[in-house]
Amino acid sequence: MTRRAVLLFAIAGALSLGTAHARAGETVWSGLVIAENAATPAAIPSELTPIEETLKELFGYNQFRVIGESRKALKTGEEDWLASSKYFSLHVDLKGASPAGYVLNLKLFQQNDVLLETDTKLSRSSPLIIKGPQVGNGQLLLVLVVQ
Amino acid sequence: MFMKTFEEKWTAWVDDQLTGRELAEFEASLPDQAAALAEKNSARQLGTFLKEQLAAVPMGNADFFSHQLSERIVRDERAAAPARSDSPSWWTIPRLFWTGATSLAIFVVCAVMVINIRPTADHSQYLTQILNARVDPTLSPNATVSIFESKEDKVTVLWVDGLKSLPSEFASK
Repeated sequence: MTRRAVLLFAIAGALSLGTAHARAGETVWSGLVIAENAATPAAIPSELTPIEETLKELFGYNQFRVIGESRKALKTGEEDWLASSKYFSLHVDLKGASPAGYVLNLKLFQQNDVLLETDTKLSRSSPLIIKGPQVGNGQLLLVLVVQ
Repeated sequence: MFMKTFEEKWTAWVDDQLTGRELAEFEASLPDQAAALAEKNSARQLGTFLKEQLAAVPMGNADFFSHQLSERIVRDERAAAPARSDSPSWWTIPRLFWTGATSLAIFVVCAVMVINIRPTADHSQYLTQILNARVDPTLSPNATVSIFESKEDKVTVLWVDGLKSLPSEFASK
């Protein structure tokens, strides 16, 4: 009888710990992406592979190049981080976590100027794409994905 | 056989229980027979009187007293009930333990199910939501913001038009 009780408690503990661990081990990938047309397009970065078709259909470009990125492992739920390129930076401030995802404040800087600011509830299963300014013949995109 | 005391013989004599030689010997031993006979008669009269007075008196309201007695017995039994609390109960320690463990397991299973079901209950929960968006009007006075969602790909897009175009060197890493 005691063995069965221990087994029961072990199963219950494993279930609850497993759920908590999945949340704690999540990472948010934030990228500054230049979408452009190229004669021989380079392979799309692996982080963008799941949304490759959507990106091509929405923006009409055949190449997507990451010019700045950050991969942040979430631990406390109150982190902030920066994904930067030479002229742009994306500041991400995590305001809190919920069962559905994360509440974020995003600021796109062009050097010292804030071009765009937004508050968003980033879902674990739903990437966020932000269309930024036109850059040369291409387009700056901001992409956030929970991994 | 044993010898009777004087008091026993006296009581038996008053009750006319002595007979034969024993009666004759006892009466012969009395110092004053006249006084003894007077005392015997007095005792017998007293006995007769007491028998008459102490006879059972029929009760006129027997049902009432019977009811009172029944209620008193019930009350006494109730009062005595806690004293029997140490008698075996269904809630033994092993049963309590297993009931608790089973309840905990059911709770955990339900909690896991609710956690797993919740994201599919509401579509807005599994799609990223834009809560608000602002563009600096001095830098981009003609900028407009629109939001759309691709539910097939589960992608949310914040579409900003009218931002100032930049030269190609801004695309460098």
